[in-house]
Amino acid sequence: MGAVPIRSSSLTREGSCLMSSNRLRIVGFAVAGLVVVALLALMAVAGAFRLFPPTPVTDRAHEIDGLYHFVFAIAVGVFVIVEGLIIFAVVRYGRKPTDTELPPQVHGNNLLEIVWTVVPTIIVAVMFVFSFNSLNKVDAVANTTDVRIRAVAAQFQWSFEYLSADGQQVQFEQLAPEMTVPAGRPVHLSLRSRDVIHAFYVPKFLFKRDVVPGRENVFEFTVDPADAGQTFRGQCAELCGTFHGSMLFTVKALAPADYDTWLAAQIEKARQSPPPAGSAAPGQLELQLEAKDVKFDKATLEAPADKPFSIKFQNDDPSVAHNVAIHDSTGQEVFKGEIFQGVDVRTYPIPPLKAGSYTFVCSVHPNMTGTLTVK
Amino acid sequence: MATTALTPAATGTRSSLYEWLTTTDHKKIGILYLVNSFLMFFIAGALALMVRVELAAPGIQFLKEDVYNQAFTIHASVMIFLFIIPILAGFGNYIVPLMIGAPDMAFPRINALSFWMLPLAAILILTGFLTGGAAAAGWTSYAPLSEAKYSGTGQDLWIVGVILIGTSSILGAINFLVTIFKMRAPGMTMFRMPIMAWTVLVTSTLVLLATPVLTSALIMLFIDRNYGGHFFDPASGGNAVLWQNVFWFYSHPAVYIMVLPAMGMISEVLPVFSRKPLFGYKAFVFATAGIGALGFSVWAHHMFTTGAVYLPFFSFMTFLIAIPTGVKMFNWTATLYRGQLTFATPLLFALGFLTMFLIGGINGAISAAVPVDFALHDTYWVVAHLHYVLFGGSVFGVFAGLYYWYPKMFGRKLNETVGKIHFVLMFIGFNLTFFPMHALGLAGMPRRIANYAPDAGWNDLNLLATIGGFTIAAGMVAFLWNIFVTMRSGEPAGDDPWEGNTLEWATSSPPPPYNFDHLPEIRSERPVFDARHKLSGGGH
Repeated sequence: MGAVPIRSSSLTREGSCLMSSNRLRIVGFAVAGLVVVALLALMAVAGAFRLFPPTPVTDRAHEIDGLYHFVFAIAVGVFVIVEGLIIFAVVRYGRKPTDTELPPQVHGNNLLEIVWTVVPTIIVAVMFVFSFNSLNKVDAVANTTDVRIRAVAAQFQWSFEYLSADGQQVQFEQLAPEMTVPAGRPVHLSLRSRDVIHAFYVPKFLFKRDVVPGRENVFEFTVDPADAGQTFRGQCAELCGTFHGSMLFTVKALAPADYDTWLAAQIEKARQSPPPAGSAAPGQLELQLEAKDVKFDKATLEAPADKPFSIKFQNDDPSVAHNVAIHDSTGQEVFKGEIFQGVDVRTYPIPPLKAGSYTFVCSVHPNMTGTLTVK
Repeated sequence: MATTALTPAATGTRSSLYEWLTTTDHKKIGILYLVNSFLMFFIAGALALMVRVELAAPGIQFLKEDVYNQAFTIHASVMIFLFIIPILAGFGNYIVPLMIGAPDMAFPRINALSFWMLPLAAILILTGFLTGGAAAAGWTSYAPLSEAKYSGTGQDLWIVGVILIGTSSILGAINFLVTIFKMRAPGMTMFRMPIMAWTVLVTSTLVLLATPVLTSALIMLFIDRNYGGHFFDPASGGNAVLWQNVFWFYSHPAVYIMVLPAMGMISEVLPVFSRKPLFGYKAFVFATAGIGALGFSVWAHHMFTTGAVYLPFFSFMTFLIAIPTGVKMFNWTATLYRGQLTFATPLLFALGFLTMFLIGGINGAISAAVPVDFALHDTYWVVAHLHYVLFGGSVFGVFAGLYYWYPKMFGRKLNETVGKIHFVLMFIGFNLTFFPMHALGLAGMPRRIANYAPDAGWNDLNLLATIGGFTIAAGMVAFLWNIFVTMRSGEPAGDDPWEGNTLEWATSSPPPPYNFDHLPEIRSERPVFDARHKLSGGGH
C-alpha cells in the first residue's frame, strides 16, 4: 500500500476533528509530561531505595552480584531506548489541527523486523552465556570440605546438625535457629525437610535453595574472611503454612580458629547428659508462661528485683520448638532457657536481675516477644 | 449501516431477567462475563487492600496469620481464575464474532454453559471463608502444604472451583476455535483477521493443550486429600516436585492466556488512535504464535530453586521468549511513529500497557539469569514482576479495551474527563504500589509473610506500597463513577465513534441480534477503514 497520504473523505468528520484537536494536543503534552514525571519519580525511587542486592558476603554472592550488575545494566539500557522511543512518539506525533489528511499508511518494513529480531537475539544470547558461566560457579559442589552442616526445616522452625567430616554422623544438633560457620572456609550445606517445602534464604548470600521433603538439596559457599564476627539474617522463603513469616534464623560467621573452639565446646556439651529440669525452690516466685500457635499467652510479666525466681514454661505447640530467653534493655542476653519441642513443660531458674525493663523472647521465633518488668 | 434486527422468535413475553439468565446471544454472554469478572475484580481487590493494610507496618495489627494467608491465596486465585482469564474470554465472546463478521459463536448453548460455571466456581471458592477457612496454601497450592494433613476444607472447595473454571475455559476454547475457523465472513481470510482474533485463536489453543494438565493435577491432589492417594506427599511415597511440574505446565502457558488477548486489544486500539495500520501485521501474528509455542517450554523457570530441574535448558528458553515479545513491543512503537495520535482514554491505557509491560518483560529477562533468580525468587521482586505483567499489562489492556468497546456494547461513550482521572490515578497508584516492591525483594523481603521485623529496613517501602494500593482503589471509584454517570447521561456513541477499522464498527451500537444485516466488502484487515476511505472498491 506504500506511503501515499490518503485524503479523508468525510467533511463532517474533518470539522469535528478541527474543533477538538487543539485540546487533544494539549492533552497529549500533558500525558507525555505525566509519563516523564513518572519516570523521573521512578528514578528517584531507584536512587533513594537501592535497586541493587545487599552487600554480598560469600564467594557465590559476589559472583551473583556481578551477574546482577551486568544483567541490570543491559535491562536499563533496553528500557531507556524503548521507553525513549515511546515517549518520543507520544510527544512528537500528537494529532494537530492541520492533520486532516491521513498520515502515511505504512504497513511494515521487513528489514526493520529482521533488525529487531536479530539484535534482541544477540542480546539474550550474551545474557544466557554469562548467566550459564556464572551458574556453573554458583552451583559447583567440590565435596572436599570438612565443614558439613545440615539445615533441618519443619513448620515453623530451623535447626542445624553439625556433621562429621565424612558427613555420616551428627556430632551435635543446634535446636536454636542459629547457624554458625567458619569464615574463609568452604561450607557444605545440605537441606532436609520434616514436613512441607521450605526454602533456605539468606539475603546477603544472594541465594536461596528449596528444602524439599523426600529430597536432599546441597550447595556450598565460603563466607568472606573479612566478615568473621558478623551475623546475617535469614528466613524461610517458601510458603510453608500459617506462621511462615515467623520462620527466621541467623547465620553467624566466626574466624576459623574461633569456630573450631566453638564446635569442640558444643560437641563436648552435647556429650554430657542434659541438666535435669529444675523446679522452683520453696518460697520462690514462679511465673507462668505458655506458648501456643507460635505466640506467648502473656505480653507482660513482672518479677521482684535482685531475687532469683523461676518461669514455668508450657509449650503447647506439638513438635514445635520454643524456649524463653531474657534480654536486657541493650539487647544483651541475660538468660537463655533450654529449647524443647512441644507439647512439654520446663521450669527455668532465673538468676537475680537488677530493676528495669527486660524483653522475653523465644530464641526459635524472634517475633515471639513480651516485656518483663523487674522492680 | 446495519440497524434492522432479525427478530428472534417469541421474545415478546420474556421478562428481561429471564432473558439474561437464559440467553445464548454471544453479546449478552460477553456482557455477563464482564459484569461477573468486574465483581470478582472488586472482591479480590478488597482482599489485596486487606493484605496491604496488614503489611503497612511491621507486626500483626489487622489480620491474624491464618486469615492473612487466606486473603492472599484467594486474592490471587480470584484475580487469575475469575477475573483476568474470564474477562478476556468475555471480550473475546463479545468482539470476536463481530470482528470476523459472524452472527454468533459456533455453539451458543455451550457458550452459555461455559459462562454459568464461573459464578458457581466463585461461590465454591469463596464459601471457604464460611467453612472454617478458605484455601490458604497460595494460588500455587504447592504440595505437600496443600495436602489434607496441612490444609482444611477450603482447599477442597478451591480444587473443585478451579476444576470447574478449567472446564469452562476448555469449552470456551473449543467454541472460539470452531467460530474462528468456520464462521468467518466471505473475504475474511486468516491473514485479514484482526490481531485480536489471532490472539484469541492462539490463547484458545494454549487453553486446549494446557488446561487438561491442570485438571488432572487437581484431580490427583483431590484424590490425595480425600481418598488416600500417594501422588504428591513424600511421606507416603509421592513426589512433592511433581505437583510443581504439572501445575506450572499449565500455569506458565496460563500467563500467556492472561496476557495475549490484552495484547490483541492493544493492537486494535493503537492503530485506530494513530490513524495508521498496525505496523508489521504478519510479524505480529508469527510473534503471537511463537510466544504460544515457546510458552510450553519455560514452565520450570518457576522452579529454579527446587534443585530438581535442568537449569540451562529452561533458562535458555526463557531468554528466547523475550524475542517475540520484543518484536511486538517494537511493532507497537512503530505503529505510533509518524501517526496522528488522539489521546482519548483507550489510547492512554494502551500507552500505560506499553510502558508497564515493558518493565514487566525486562525484569522477566533479568530473572531468566538463573543465579540472579536464586537471589530474587519468592521475594517481593517477583511480586513486582508479576504485577507489572498482569496488572500493568493485562489490566491496563482490559481498561483500554473497555473504554474502546463500551460505546459499541452500550451505545454510549464513557466520560472522557472521568476516564482520564481514572487513568492517572491508576497509573500513579500502580507504580507507587509495585515499583517499591523491586527494592523490597532485593533487600530480602520474602513473599507471603504477614509479619516482618521493625529493624529489617522494609518499613518505608511497605507503607509507600500501601498508599499506592489505596490510590489504585481511588482510581476504581472514578471508574465506577464513570459507569454511573454514563448510564444516566452518557454521550450517544453512534455506530463508529472512534473511526474504527474492524467489522464491529460496521453495525449499530449495540449491535442487533445476529449482528449484521449487511457487511462491507472485506479486502484487508481494515474493512471499515477501507469502506470509509473508499479503498479497493469497498463500501456500497
